Order: sequence, then C-alpha cells, then structure tokens
Amino acid sequence: MTPDERELRRALDARSGAPSPDFGARVGKALSAGQQHPNLMPAVAAFVVAVLTVATVGVLVYTRSSRPPSHVGPASASRTTSPAPSPPGPYYPTTTQLSAPSHNVVWAFVADTFLYVSTDRGDAWAQRALPAVEGGGPLEVSFVDANHGWLSVPGIPETQCNAAGIAIWHTSDGARTWERLTTTGIADRQCKQGLSFTDARHGFISGWDDNNPPVVYRTADGGLTWKASAPIPDPPGFKTSGGGDALRVHQVWGSGGAYLMTAYGTQPTGGRAYVFRSGDGGATWTYAADVPNPAVSVAFITASHWLQVGAPGQSVETTDGGKSWHAYASDYSQAAPIAPEVVFGDAMVGYATVRGAIQRTVDGGLHWTPIRAPGT
Amino acid sequence: MPRSLRRTVGGVSDNRTFEELLSTVLDPAFRLAMTMLNDRTAAEDAVQEAAVKAWRSFGRFRAGAEMRPWFLTIVANECRSARRSRWWHVWRFPEIAPHSIADESSADRIDLDKALGRLAPQHLLVLSLYYHLDLPITEVARVLGCSEGAARQRVHRALAALRPGMKLEVDT
Repeated sequence: MTPDERELRRALDARSGAPSPDFGARVGKALSAGQQHPNLMPAVAAFVVAVLTVATVGVLVYTRSSRPPSHVGPASASRTTSPAPSPPGPYYPTTTQLSAPSHNVVWAFVADTFLYVSTDRGDAWAQRALPAVEGGGPLEVSFVDANHGWLSVPGIPETQCNAAGIAIWHTSDGARTWERLTTTGIADRQCKQGLSFTDARHGFISGWDDNNPPVVYRTADGGLTWKASAPIPDPPGFKTSGGGDALRVHQVWGSGGAYLMTAYGTQPTGGRAYVFRSGDGGATWTYAADVPNPAVSVAFITASHWLQVGAPGQSVETTDGGKSWHAYASDYSQAAPIAPEVVFGDAMVGYATVRGAIQRTVDGGLHWTPIRAPGT
Repeated sequence: MPRSLRRTVGGVSDNRTFEELLSTVLDPAFRLAMTMLNDRTAAEDAVQEAAVKAWRSFGRFRAGAEMRPWFLTIVANECRSARRSRWWHVWRFPEIAPHSIADESSADRIDLDKALGRLAPQHLLVLSLYYHLDLPITEVARVLGCSEGAARQRVHRALAALRPGMKLEVDT
C-alpha cells in the first residue's frame, strides 16, 4: 500500500463513522411500515377493479335491457383506479415535499410514498392515492388547487446525469385517480428536476447534468407538449465546468406573466445560489440577483418580495427583487441543523418543513407554530 | 411477515429472511452513504429508504445473486437522489471528524479532506467502494453496473479528479 493510498483510506474513514445506536431498530420499524403498505396495493387495486367491472357490466346490462345508449364515451386506458389509502402512515423522520397552491390548500408528499391534502392550512390531513410507480430519482408533485396536480417520475439516470427519462402523471380529481400523460418535447438528455405548475396549463421542469448548463422545459397545455428554454446562462461569478460545477434550478414561481426561479451550484470556493427571471413565458431566463445565504431556500411571496427563513437571527427578506436584502424578524426555529424548505400559499400563509416536521405561519413569516405532521 | 430468500449458494440451501440478509450489509451501506453525504442523519435516512425499496424489490432479486452489491447499488442511488434534492449540499453542520493540531502532515490531510468534499458524487462513490469498503474490482463493477475495465477506469478518473499525481494501484 502506497503512502497516498493510506492517506486516502484515512480521509475516507474520516468522512465515515458509526450510525446512531438506534439505527438498526429504526430501519426495522421502517421496514415494518413499508412492508404492510405495498402489500395492500395489489389486493386493493384488484378488489376495486373487480367491483368496477361487476358494476360496469351490471349497468351496461341494465341499460341495454331498458333503452338504447345515447352515448358511449371512449375508454380511458391510462387512467388508474385509485387505491384506497393504506395504513400505516409514514415513519418519521422522513422527507416531505409541500405544495401550497392557495390560502387554505396545502399538499404534503411524504417519504416519496404517502400523499396528503389539507383544505384548512394543515390542521387536518386526508390521505390521497398515488399511481403505482417506481422512479430512479426523487418523485415530485405540484398542485395548483385542491384538485389539479402533477407527479413527475424520473427514470434511472445515466452516469453524471447525461440522460434520464421522465414520466408525468396528472390528476384532476384531487388525487383520487391519476392519468399518465403522453408527453412530447422533453429530451432524454440530462436528469429532470423541479416540477412546478403555476396554473392548470402552465408548468415547468428543468433538465440538468454535471457538465452543462441546465435548461427549463415549459408547457402551456397542462403537460402534454413541452419546449426547452435556451440554456440558463452562467450568472456573474459562476463558471460552469465539468465534474459537477454546474447549476441546478428549482421550482418555478409565477405570477402575472412574470416567472422566477432559484438556481444553485458549487464552485471550488463553495456553494452559490441565484435567482433567475423570465418575462417571455420561460423561453429565456436572465440572472436577477444573488441569494445571500445559499444554505437557505428562497420563498417568493410576490415578484419583488422574497424571503429566506432560517435559524433565529438569520432570516432575511428583499422587497426590491433582490437588489437589497435586510434582516427579517422571524421567530422560526428548529432542532435539526439543516435549512427548511419553505413554501407560501399566499402572502400570509406559509409552511416550513424539515425531515417531515412542519411549521406554519399565517402572518407572512413573522411567527411560526408547529402543525401535526400528516399521517400522525 | 418476513420474506424468505430461497436459493442455493454453493450447493447449500439459503432460507434466510430479508432482514437477516440486510443486517449483514447495513454497516457497509451506512459507511458508503456517509462518504457520499457526509451527514450522519442524511446517511441513515438514505440507508433506511434504500432498505424499504430493497424490500419492495426483493421479488426481483435474482437467485444466486449477492446481497451486498445489489443493496449497495440501491444505497448509491438513494445517495445520488439525496444529493440532487434541493439544498442538501449546503447543510451547515457537516460531520467531519475533527483534526488534532498535533497531526503530522496536517496541511496535506486538510487539503485531501477538502478535495473529497468537493468531489463529484460519482467519483466519491467509486472511491468509497474500492478504497473504503475494500470491495474487489469485480464487485465495484457490479455496483456501478459496468464492466471491470470500465470500473478500473472510473477509479483512475476519480483519483485524477481528487488529486492529480496521486500514486495508487488498482487491481488488474
């Protein structure tokens, strides 16, 4: 073994360590929860299909025997019946994505497995169904109200995210049923991330890899046809280069025809985050501002009012579209030493989540209180 | 109910449950996740998610296949997903073992630790598999889903990215 090899093994060891004492038990509990959930799905789905088949045949027989049909609509082959919500719920801590389309409605996608909706700002949650899918990367959801939503299922990526497929599903009945969309216009090249719809027709998803600038695909017909933007330009002080120093963009926020998104990337000197703006529906994007703390996500309240909610004393806001930032007297705090994901349903109601725990504000981010995690 | 693996390895029937098989690979899985994510909780989350996904896919686990490369592949995918998710890389309290001031050649060590911290995930993965978990190159190739020759090339590429001029040997 060469000295270099010894040194490398030591350095790798230094990044490693032992798991928590209760880690094995935690995995066991997660397995117990996970084992029961998927096992119910085929049985429930088969039962629903059987019931629907019997019911459909019965209705057809009855209709035929009573009077001729006035209209028979086309069968929807790709629409899935919705499996009933399956106990048990998620095992926390885990991941939770939030989508807050309005003042009262908020969706929570927990552990890539459980989908919940609340119509009272998170006081009560109802579990909804998901199609049986298996992705090669994180699934993402985006809802524009209590009924209309999309689910992206990325394929298994090639090395350095040179290519990866994507499947997009849509629901128009509050995630009781889902339909896989037949999409056109999304290239195989690059991994896909950041699904976001700003209304029932307009949506976005980005393509990125480790070596090239990202692009943002946009749709204006609810997710059927997509067009790629021009590559996102390097912002001031950032240089895209091979091996991982490339930008990745996040969900797009939109209002009144103006669109904003955050992008982050690493440079040899550390992480950077930026805001980009589009005034042409997402065809081109231009650098708008630096983000003061790349460790904290940006919540867009209006086109010019943005918040970064972090640890006590670290929250900042801008009211001039990123030209200047100043301290924001938020009382948000949490035990976990990571930045929360923050989304706002409107200018007053917002949610912050870390490892599945959710806090809510109803005064624009000044005060935060914990709410019940979905499924608990 | 625990799933049993009914297969024959070396002429011996193997009826171990999924949980029993999993317990033998949790440690290397955690070490791999720690190397890639550099955060204990994130690593535990990744291995936990990988365990649940592995259980769900256990029906597709080929008879005669080895648990370790199969599970480490799933863990590696989970870690890639975690790194791709928003803001993971800017968690503010990375768990890096503290260095003693009295350490010899501490500047070199700090440089190497920093270089590892900046390394792209695909390079971290291959270095962890080969130099940290000490997997043979054949098993590294299975985890990466490539030929042994390609796996060796990836080790060399990762070393070049980590520190040009580093002198290490890769099994031939």
